[in-house]
Order: sequence, then C-alpha cells, then structure tokens
Amino acid sequence: MKRLFVSLLVLTGLSGVASLVTWQLVGPPDRSVACHQADLPKHSVCLSTVRTWPVGEILWVDARPRADWEKDGLDGSVLMNDQEDWLDLEPEFMMQMMLATRPTVVVYCNQSGCGSSKYIADQLRSRHADALGFQVYVLEGGIKALLAEE
Amino acid sequence: MNLLKIIFFTVVSGALPLAAEMVFKTTLVEIQVEPGQNQVTGEFPFEIQGTDETIVTYDALCSCLAGRVEPLLPDRSAKLAWKVGEKGVIKARFDTSRFLGTVDKAIELKLKGRDPILLTVRVHIPNLVELEPNTLRWDTGGDTEEQVIKVKINHSKPINIISHSANNEKIYPYELKVIKAGWEYEIRVKPTTSAETGIGAISLRTDCDIPKFKRAAAYVVTKPKLKARSAVTGAVQ
Repeated sequence: MKRLFVSLLVLTGLSGVASLVTWQLVGPPDRSVACHQADLPKHSVCLSTVRTWPVGEILWVDARPRADWEKDGLDGSVLMNDQEDWLDLEPEFMMQMMLATRPTVVVYCNQSGCGSSKYIADQLRSRHADALGFQVYVLEGGIKALLAEE
Repeated sequence: MNLLKIIFFTVVSGALPLAAEMVFKTTLVEIQVEPGQNQVTGEFPFEIQGTDETIVTYDALCSCLAGRVEPLLPDRSAKLAWKVGEKGVIKARFDTSRFLGTVDKAIELKLKGRDPILLTVRVHIPNLVELEPNTLRWDTGGDTEEQVIKVKINHSKPINIISHSANNEKIYPYELKVIKAGWEYEIRVKPTTSAETGIGAISLRTDCDIPKFKRAAAYVVTKPKLKARSAVTGAVQ
C-alpha cells in the first residue's frame, strides 16, 4: 500500500514537473478559438480572415441580447438580435449602411452554436444584401473569438 | 513493475468513459411551423448503451428554447443519472413567435466525461406577408426610373393592408396599388431626384391577427454605384 502511494506521488510529481517545463518552453496555453477557414461552412469566417480585410469596410453586427451588447459589444457595432422586434432594430442597421460604403457585414453572437448570428445573417442577406451590395458572414467562435484576441 | 501497472490502469480507466454512450435516434429535428403557431417541440429520444451516463447540464443556447429531460423523477425533478438500457427523451420547446424563415436553435447536452452534444431543432416558418424585394436602390447621380416592390400574401385567408406611410415621401413618393385585395399589392416608387445619397422607409400595417405580421417595412435608398468587391473578401465565399 505504501509503495502504491509512493508510486502515485512520483507520477503526480513527474507530471507536474513536465507541465512546468512545457509552460516554460512553449509558453502559456493558447486560448484563442481554433478556426480553419477551409473547414468552415459557406458564409462563415475566421477572425484571422476578417483581420486581413480593410477595417473601414466592415460593419459588425452584434446578435446577442441587448444587455450583452451594451456591456462589451464591439465599438461601432450594430445590435440586431432575435430577441427584439426585427422592424425596430432594422432602421439603425440601414442608417449605418448608408453612412459609409461597407461591402462586408460580420455577425457575431455568444458562441458558435447559439444560431442567432446565422439567423441574423440569413435575414440581412435575403432582405438587403443585393440592393445594398454587401456580403454577410458569421464569425466563427462569436464573441469568444474576439475576446480571446485581446 | 507496480508503476507500470498503475500507468496501465490509469490509461484504461481514462478510456472507459469513451465506451459509454447515450445514443440518439437523431440530433436534428426539422419542423414545419403552421401560420400562427408560436410554439413547437422537438423531441430527441435516446437510449443508454455501453455504460451508465450522467447528464451534467442541458442548456438551451437561446432564450427562445427550453429543454427538458423525460421521464422526470417522482419528485418532478430532472433525471440526470441514467443506467444502461434505460430510454428517455430530451424535449426542446421552441418559441417561434419572433422568427421567420428557416431557423436552427440547439440544446447543448453535456455528459460526464464526454464532449458536448448539440441537439438542433430546425424550424421552417412561413412569411405570410412577403415583400419582394425588401429594398429598392438607385445609384447616386443615375436615372430615377420607377421600381416596384411586390407584396404577396402567403396565407390561407386574405390579409389586407389597412394603412401605409413613408418617412421621406418628398424624395421617394410612392403609390400602393391593389392588384388583388387581401392577396397581392404593389408599391411603386419613383424618386424625385438621385442627386444625393438618401434613404426612406415605407411602413405597412395589416389586419393580420398574428402579431408579427401586423407590420412590414420596405426601404428605398440612393447610394453611389457599387464598386467591384475586393479579392480578399471574395476569397471566402
């Protein structure tokens, strides 16, 4: 029993030392959201891809609840979610699209599986994309990808 | 030798949870929503195979969705510990009142020692008052030819437009033409000028008894001619 205990202790100690060495050599764990553009479905985009586009040509749309948008929404983003009446939120989006030429709209929500950003992107695409000449994408990883970047 | 045994048992016991399985007949349920139907329920039947399972959480990823595991325990609480051979169902109640078109919403099921499982409810909700297109556009400095928005009623009974208004009628005067009362209308718009960038909205009110179809809106805009899309943006299409 004593040997078992000692063995477990040795194993734990070795694991700990290995972890520390790895941390020292490789650095802290990568907390960014893993994303490979080629693996994504149509109309989804990695943050790394978005970062290659001209900043001024992007309109960010926050598809989260209003409280979340007010708390940490991206500067300049427009609120378009599926919790409030679409017709009440739409005018602000239209005004933002009129203020500058924005050929790209990127929608983000809380997480990849929330579905809100996809819904909002689909609605914007079907209602206005042709007339206003923009493309709509869903940000893979949502707000987590944006926060991990900071 | 003992150290080797410990390593072996650690590896084997670590792998055991992978053999456990909560088997679902499907993880995607599609539902066609009837006009006026504000709630639908997607059902995900499952059976426990391999080893016992423990549900850690079952969170809906939208306030419009509510999950429930059935059967409930005698005290009406959720049954989280499941034994091999037991069968149950996860029900996802979807409040569809705010949505149109095709919508995916999911419940994220977390089981002890397993990767999360997404149980997706896909609903198809008809648009009873369809505007085609939703937005009319003229190029700044271009011609000001009349353009038309067609309003089509996709319902089993007529929906009448009972009032309409615009917020920029000086630049975008319009005419609402009744093609077939209750079923088909046209909004004809001819801007008075295209000299400057501009925007207007045309609002419609209907006599539909379903709240989300009581209002509709179309937009009319004058914008500089579209430029060619950048190669970078096009690369991810």
